[in-house]
Amino acid sequence: MTPKAETAHWVAASVALLIGLLLVAEAIVGPEVFRRRAWRAYLFPAIVVASSVGLWIIVVFSTFSTMHLLAHALWAQAALVAGAVELAVVRGKLKSPNWSLVPGFALLVSGLAFLVHEQNPWLYSRSAFLHHAIGWMLVVVALFPLGQALRPRQVVWRAGFAVTFVLLAILLFADRDAAPIFGRYGLGGGP
Amino acid sequence: MRRRLVLVATAAVALAVPGTALAHVTLVDSEPVTQSRVDRPPTEVRLRFNEPVTITSNAVEVLAPNGTVLSGTARTEDDGRVVVAPVSRLRLGQGYTVRWRVIGEDGHSPAGVFTFGVGVNAPPPTEAVGASGTTWRDDVARWGLFAALALIIGPLTLRLLVLRGPVPGQLEHRFHLVSVIAAFLVIDVGIAAFVLRASNALQLPFVDLPYGDLQPFAEKTRFGIAFLVMTIGFGIVAALLLVGWVFDRLELRVPALLLSVALLSGLSLSGHQGTEPNASWISELADWLHLVAASVWVGGVASLAFLVWPLAPSLRRTAFVGFARIAVVLVAVMVLAGGYLALVRLPELSDLWETLYGQLLLMKVAVVGIALVWGAVHHFVVRPRLEAGEDPDVHPSLVGEAIVAFSVLLAAAILTNVAPPPVDVPPSTTARSTR
Repeated sequence: MTPKAETAHWVAASVALLIGLLLVAEAIVGPEVFRRRAWRAYLFPAIVVASSVGLWIIVVFSTFSTMHLLAHALWAQAALVAGAVELAVVRGKLKSPNWSLVPGFALLVSGLAFLVHEQNPWLYSRSAFLHHAIGWMLVVVALFPLGQALRPRQVVWRAGFAVTFVLLAILLFADRDAAPIFGRYGLGGGP
Repeated sequence: MRRRLVLVATAAVALAVPGTALAHVTLVDSEPVTQSRVDRPPTEVRLRFNEPVTITSNAVEVLAPNGTVLSGTARTEDDGRVVVAPVSRLRLGQGYTVRWRVIGEDGHSPAGVFTFGVGVNAPPPTEAVGASGTTWRDDVARWGLFAALALIIGPLTLRLLVLRGPVPGQLEHRFHLVSVIAAFLVIDVGIAAFVLRASNALQLPFVDLPYGDLQPFAEKTRFGIAFLVMTIGFGIVAALLLVGWVFDRLELRVPALLLSVALLSGLSLSGHQGTEPNASWISELADWLHLVAASVWVGGVASLAFLVWPLAPSLRRTAFVGFARIAVVLVAVMVLAGGYLALVRLPELSDLWETLYGQLLLMKVAVVGIALVWGAVHHFVVRPRLEAGEDPDVHPSLVGEAIVAFSVLLAAAILTNVAPPPVDVPPSTTARSTR
């Protein structure tokens, strides 16, 4: 009944890649051009909200350990809240630029959940390496939405936020849980 | 610089190369099967994992009902994917507990527990040997769950059935906020309640609990299945409420309310009424109606006291009088369904004072009695004055009734976590094996 972990990770990676490409496109052409058609502004938050529902399904398949159940539930809630807030910002329901801190907070808690739910050091296995890499990346890039709130005109924050999702997709596509960090070559793996 | 480039390139290639193992270590199969009934005593217990594992000699313990360890030294087979423990002295007519702990290739150290029966149904995993049973923490978690459910269903009902027209923006915003927060609370408190219940049986130190295997509880018990369905369901409810708020679509609250009410059946189907030998579809329906009526009543009173009264003075009369009409039906349903359930669970009158369940029920009835008297005063004294155009200061009294109402939920939570006394069951009735 339980799907393979890598299947779930790759589905998540596909969604992250889709989001990343959308955001990269917006960063390249600029929000004014990208949002000439109003519906495009809703794409990113709508996908995040929809993916949160998908994450709830993953939550119920994560009962093989308490930690995974809690981590996936946290990601689902972070995605739902961040997506809904972003939807409300786009819709004009929320007007303060400080609301862009919410995606940053969501990235921060998601990154911390990655780090907490990995009990092994970086080079123990591929899974451990990726969990650490994703966790620290999300913790660090939580600064991008913060920068966007403080300096909304600087492109670097928007671009950095966009590239984050592409990198997240690459790391998730590479996630083969228990494989040694250097794949079948076993150069730096665990026991 | 060159060395860095080589390192980065090596890492990139490594990440792109397929690995060999597939997933976190999990128990995929066992002999005897988890929560199964076998006809003859087995001579060994076999656990199959999805990847090779490392074990110690006591990686698998098979326990008799009195706690005696009946298993020998464990060994691995099939390149470490299968763990086998010989067992002896198992007898027909008894349930047995299997506790296991292994180390996976990723270094995680999952542990789990399950039961099986020899010639009898397997006891539920929550009653595995060594399980501590429910504690005050379970009572608090159940109370939180009841309260959160009331805070979704009550405000939504009040807004959709009583205050149908436009309401002041601040009140509308608060209705949204309360119901969304309550939806998240249902999910999180539900997870906490589920993990607490499983941890009582797993009996792992706190530091090891994160890697406890919850699958037997999630997939082989009614409360586990109800937990899974409710988690997804309230995730959808939260999404509906948030999207409804963003786009000002009040109608999205209708499916959110209906789904919430339907999901309440998960608690009914997984509680006493779903597991007792004398349970029937009537008792399950009665329990669901009891729960729905109580949720609407408690959440509705709380909404009147903490949302409508302070935020919309112009709507006080409409809300109070409208809710008073609904409250009559709610009280009737609660009393009738609750009375029927009490008769089913306590066939002897003396059970009321001779059993713990009966004593707790009396305590709950006493708190309900206070709430009903309070509600009756509101209905027969305050409502006519409001209808006559007066403006009595009823806010403190409403807050008091809301506090008593939440106390009723606490009493109900404690009662739900205590098993009713055993009853004589006709031979044709089949006991259900999952709890």
